[in-house]
Amino acid sequence: MANSVQTPEPIGHALRQAGFFALVILSTLIALGLLVSVFHTDGLSPIELLLLLLYAILFSWICISFWSALMGFFILLFGRDRWAISRQPGTSPDPTAPPPRTAILMPIYNEDSQRVFAGLRATHQSLVDTGQSDGFDFFILSDTRDPDVWVEEELRWQDMVRALDGKGRIFYRNRPENTSRKTGNLEDFCTRWGGHYRYMIVLDADSIMKGSTLVEMVRLMENHPGVALIQTPPVPVNRESLFARILQFAGGIYGRMFTAGLNYWQLGESNYWGHNAIIRIQPFLDHCGLPKLSGREPFGGEILSHDFVEAALLRRAGWEVWLAYDLDGSYEEIPPTLIDYAKRDRRWCQGNMQHLRLAVSRGLNGISRLHFIMGVMSYAASPLWLLFLVATGVDAYLQTQQELVYFFGQNWMPVWPVSFAVEMTTVLLVTLTMLFLPKLLALLLLLKDAKLLRAYGGLAAATWSVILETVFSVLTAPVLMLFQTKFVLAILMRRAVGWPPQQRGDHMTSFKEAALAHGGHTLIGIVTGVLSYWYVPAFFWWFTPVLVGLILSIPVSMLSSSIALGRQARELGLFLTPEETEPPAVLRYLAENLEDDEPVLPVLRDQPRSRFVQALTDPYVNALHLSLLPEREPPGKRRRHYLEGLIHHLEEEGPDSMSAAQKRDLIADPESLQRLHALFWSRPPADAGALP
Amino acid sequence: MDRSKISTGHHYLAPPVAAPSSELLFGRLGAYWQTLGVTDPAQVQALTEQVLRRAAELPETPALDPLARALMVCGDLLDEWLARVLELPRPSRQLAAARAALLSGVAPDWPKALFAPPGEAMDHLLDTLRVAIAEPTPPPIASAMPTQRIRSFSLLGLLRVLWRKLFGG
Repeated sequence: MANSVQTPEPIGHALRQAGFFALVILSTLIALGLLVSVFHTDGLSPIELLLLLLYAILFSWICISFWSALMGFFILLFGRDRWAISRQPGTSPDPTAPPPRTAILMPIYNEDSQRVFAGLRATHQSLVDTGQSDGFDFFILSDTRDPDVWVEEELRWQDMVRALDGKGRIFYRNRPENTSRKTGNLEDFCTRWGGHYRYMIVLDADSIMKGSTLVEMVRLMENHPGVALIQTPPVPVNRESLFARILQFAGGIYGRMFTAGLNYWQLGESNYWGHNAIIRIQPFLDHCGLPKLSGREPFGGEILSHDFVEAALLRRAGWEVWLAYDLDGSYEEIPPTLIDYAKRDRRWCQGNMQHLRLAVSRGLNGISRLHFIMGVMSYAASPLWLLFLVATGVDAYLQTQQELVYFFGQNWMPVWPVSFAVEMTTVLLVTLTMLFLPKLLALLLLLKDAKLLRAYGGLAAATWSVILETVFSVLTAPVLMLFQTKFVLAILMRRAVGWPPQQRGDHMTSFKEAALAHGGHTLIGIVTGVLSYWYVPAFFWWFTPVLVGLILSIPVSMLSSSIALGRQARELGLFLTPEETEPPAVLRYLAENLEDDEPVLPVLRDQPRSRFVQALTDPYVNALHLSLLPEREPPGKRRRHYLEGLIHHLEEEGPDSMSAAQKRDLIADPESLQRLHALFWSRPPADAGALP
Repeated sequence: MDRSKISTGHHYLAPPVAAPSSELLFGRLGAYWQTLGVTDPAQVQALTEQVLRRAAELPETPALDPLARALMVCGDLLDEWLARVLELPRPSRQLAAARAALLSGVAPDWPKALFAPPGEAMDHLLDTLRVAIAEPTPPPIASAMPTQRIRSFSLLGLLRVLWRKLFGG
């Protein structure tokens, strides 16, 4: 059980939460009341009941977001939140205790090694700038399976150690088996080396963090012994495509308001987003060993989205989890195109859907359950909106089929149908206000801070950017709705959605790729448009924003992936972010590291066709790789036979005929590695340019 | 499997030479030593002769042709020397790391130390190597991470709790 944190006062905390949820519930009830008054005149039909139910769920979802944004607006308007973790004095650390040691962890899996190490070096450089880097060690925790990437990582690591004199401070290991994916990767670190450290700061492959932010995270943890985890809000940076720049702008300008608002009501019951967070290792060891859930996927099996669960388990054990909304210097990179964004969603969707089951697990805290539900709703909201739109269309169609009766019963005067235009318009306006007002408020907040306003390009440019971002989000929302609906349904039906892996770097979407991804969306848009125009013309006009988004999905997806358009928009001052106008040192370091990639190791300056072959031919690469293999029992007879077969396969047919897994098996075995080195030197292949 | 690749008879690696000529042996082993950093022809000659003597004493293995076997001995010879001067166990990960450090270019004059009598050159080389030997991970400290129990929602369980609360027992 954790030591209790001194602040915030429990009553104040409870009052905040009660007030917040009262606002959410009240606004939902008012909107529902208006809708019920419209539907209830002639009794509720089944479809109206369905609409009411869907509206209640979706509106309360919007309400949480809206009221969070509003609270965030007031916090940023009037200054900082006095109960924010950064504002609490906490306790002075025990002067007799040894100074804390912190491990900065970067779990990676088949990533672009150059980018990974350039980012890690930038973070390291920024940490050195603070003069407090002594308390930090770096771990590259590789789960990489691709043999070429594996060897490249080893060389990049050794190069980084040499260049930064990082022996004994910058570590690397590649797991023989990537059991339980990222969760297993971190668990492996915790159980083997966690004992050396009091804290770990978990990064993602594309995370960048300012050194001063890392130091401040440790200071906060030291001052708050009852806190197990502090999450920083990562700001999206570094992309150049139009799509990514729009998202970076949105993340920057609206994100800070939303995170301030989330902290307002979550306080010490916040959540973990999987990276750019500091974790106290001992409670993590004690309480975050994740079980396998009973039953099959999608709701059973391994816990895929581990972060929310770990936060919930820490909370269950009495530890506090905070969102340090006001800690800047935490960055990440986002997918460069709409299609890549959807691909990332596909990966996240299954993990989040699994949370549906965890939300009703026994023994968890109420807010932890809400985090799970919010995670589920990030994706489940899409099929629900779709169902809502379809049900609205059907209801509208049924209304048009009813003949109006003006004389009935004993009435001799005609009974005119009651118009509910006012109520319906109110419901619509309230919904739209809740969706779009936060954007306006975020813009207003810029007026408070002249420096920040300049960083966003000035008032005119920022206003245009907000308007264009709003139009873009309206156009892409229906496309994402259909994507996410497909993912949710596929997961529920245990169907695979076959897609190539996500590309992290900037790249253009081709017509073929866009047509394959959005052809169905365009068709749905056209068919729905024709049907609604034909059968429910009044509904058609309400429906046009959705239809336009779907019909234009191919050109929107292609144009928004354009790097040239992204750069042009930047020249026009559109979608600027502070990180673009005044890049912090850590981002400048990253750009420099990527641009001036001049390795210390001569072998890295070569760009061989295959690092796998280089590990077999180059004596240094061979020896380095051998030295990094874990010490294991020699393989058994059957395994030995298998490896013999692979060696013959390589001798006869060459590396191009082998799968990545086969190549990995060969260079993961010390004996095969050394034998192949000798074979390549004794019988050099025609294409082994490195061999004399 | 693509059978056509096999039927052509062209193998990726050149065919093994069952009885390689001295010229071939000295040529390939010399090239190998030079890649490792031994540039003095006399040293290359001496090392190659030592390797060939030792390789001749080894039992024949069908998996390795004579030249490959001799190349394996080159590595053994290097490891043997490194293990002795650095006092490292054989075989070990540290020894492989020492070999990597030696070949990384931090001490391009290492062959001089290899052939020189113990003295300053060797001490300097050993200091350089000790600094350059990679340390991929800190020593492990085993910590337990017990698997937590997450109890699923059970309607029956909920009813049981309610029953107990309402009626006791």
